[in-house]
Amino acid sequence: MSAAIQCRDVTKSYATGTTMTPALQGITLEIQPGELFMLVGPSGCGKTTLISVIAGILSQDGGMCRIFGEDLKSMSDEERTAFRLRNVGFVFQAYNLIPSLTAAENVSIPLLLAGHDRNEALIRANEVLRHVGLGAKLEAKPAELSGGQQQRVAIARALVHNPRLIVCDEPTSALDHTTGGEIMALFRREVLKGDRALVIVTHDSRIFHYADRIGVMDDGRVVRIAHSPDELELETSKD
Amino acid sequence: MGVYVIALKMLIGNRGKFYAMVFGVALTSLIITQQSSIFLGLMSRTVGFIFDTPQPDLWVMDPKVQFVDDVKPLQDTKLFQVRGVEGVEWAVPLYKGALRARLPNGTFQTCNVIGLDDATLVAGPPTMIDGSLADLRRADGVIVDEAGANGKLAKPGATPTSPRVPLRVGDVLELNDNRAVVVGIARATRTFQSQPVIYTTYSRAMRFAPRERKLLSFILAKVRSGYSSRDVALQINRQTGLAAYTAPQFKGLTIRYFMRNTGIPINFGMAVGLGFLVGVAIVGQTFFSFIVDNMRYLGILKAMGANNRLLFHMILLQTVLVGIVGSGLGMGIAALTSILAKNSELAFYLPWQVPVVTVLATSLITLITTVASLRKVFSLEPGIVFRG
Repeated sequence: MSAAIQCRDVTKSYATGTTMTPALQGITLEIQPGELFMLVGPSGCGKTTLISVIAGILSQDGGMCRIFGEDLKSMSDEERTAFRLRNVGFVFQAYNLIPSLTAAENVSIPLLLAGHDRNEALIRANEVLRHVGLGAKLEAKPAELSGGQQQRVAIARALVHNPRLIVCDEPTSALDHTTGGEIMALFRREVLKGDRALVIVTHDSRIFHYADRIGVMDDGRVVRIAHSPDELELETSKD
Repeated sequence: MGVYVIALKMLIGNRGKFYAMVFGVALTSLIITQQSSIFLGLMSRTVGFIFDTPQPDLWVMDPKVQFVDDVKPLQDTKLFQVRGVEGVEWAVPLYKGALRARLPNGTFQTCNVIGLDDATLVAGPPTMIDGSLADLRRADGVIVDEAGANGKLAKPGATPTSPRVPLRVGDVLELNDNRAVVVGIARATRTFQSQPVIYTTYSRAMRFAPRERKLLSFILAKVRSGYSSRDVALQINRQTGLAAYTAPQFKGLTIRYFMRNTGIPINFGMAVGLGFLVGVAIVGQTFFSFIVDNMRYLGILKAMGANNRLLFHMILLQTVLVGIVGSGLGMGIAALTSILAKNSELAFYLPWQVPVVTVLATSLITLITTVASLRKVFSLEPGIVFRG
């Protein structure tokens, strides 16, 4: 089976005044379909830049990055936007639900952007919300929902258009331990269906054990890859 | 289509900003519509008398006359000269002057006195409310305009605190020490200075007016069928040395005088310009702040796959909605003012061109606002979504 994400020697720098600050320094990484991959590391190590490149939001400066076999760097902005619309779902730390819309309307957004009819999109959104356990909150506005419920809505929004890749930025850091666990269980149950790949950037060590693999980043590089938190701790203690 | 519903909900969901923007556009369109209408109302009052006198094809006058109230009397013989010009079917004299009416309480009120040709009564008031035009032939007869009869010429009440009593048919006035009997009440376009208008016959006006060598203000002429007004006007000018204008030319002359020689256009132009700037400032700033508030959500839409063209359409829809609701409200209030101002002292004339100008102005505000916001949205980096 070909890799969902295949990055080789990916580099990215940001201009700071007249100097260039490297954010990614030769990342080589493969993530398989159906895999839950976590990216961990200290702040400023390049995690966010890497998922931005993987999600097609940023273009790398050098190296190659193929998502489901497609080289996003060779695409125009319009093509990359269309690629994201078809293939990528997003879950954010701060949920980022539009406050004036109901849960169902928020979830329907990716379908509406793809040109689906509003009623059809709402029916599908309601269906996905029921799958994530929010069948009773379809018409609730974000302000009427708890943090865990809002994150479930965000997950439903990431899933509704059935993308092949989901990228999550600190999905549990604003949640308590129990709710965070529920969200991760939901990720494993609902998100990792078929050949979908899931990349999570996190600092939350409580959820490491949900990962299939954990990539540790430091200073713009993936310095090690562990298959479990225990392996990670073991390697850390060796260091 | 559904994504546009999302755009509208994002707009209306932020109630405070939505109302502020609608208020801004409404205020702007109200100011522009109202000030333009008052300006046009005032300008139309300057030519109200010409407007009320549709019978003649030509207004003949001294060539130095600059506007309708700028009377430079002619010799009576000029009337016969005009009648002798080929193409003139008839020509009648008209007196127009300001005379003082003495009120029962002893005060004086300046009135516009119009002296109509005794035989034809051409140039009489457009609408009679009480009495008839022919009643002017009764001894000392005058017709008073409704606004003057109810207002400045109204008689004092029985006690100092009781309301004034409108002038009615049968009441007696004193015009320049001459007795005048009200034989009719008419409706006429208000004058620029809002003075009462008194119609009488030409010969009686000669009696009312102070003795002067020349009292003939204008000659009103009808052009014989088959002749063009322009050619006959030229002919009158050649043969008599007088100026002859069609009604539209005379209105144009009068309005141009007021435009050039009074501060009215500048004052109203400044009010309209300020209204526009207030609109741009309020709406532009509020909408820009609305966009800044929504930058994160626009970034999410961009990350999820909304391209710049779609975001442009969403923002345009939002500003157009604000423009339609706001200008509708503003023009609605202005239209209501127009209805309430009917038959009042307020000069208010709202032709269809004014709302068109207002819509254009609010569209321009909408466009400026959209363009100003778009720069921010187009340069928006979707990576913003990953920043806490």
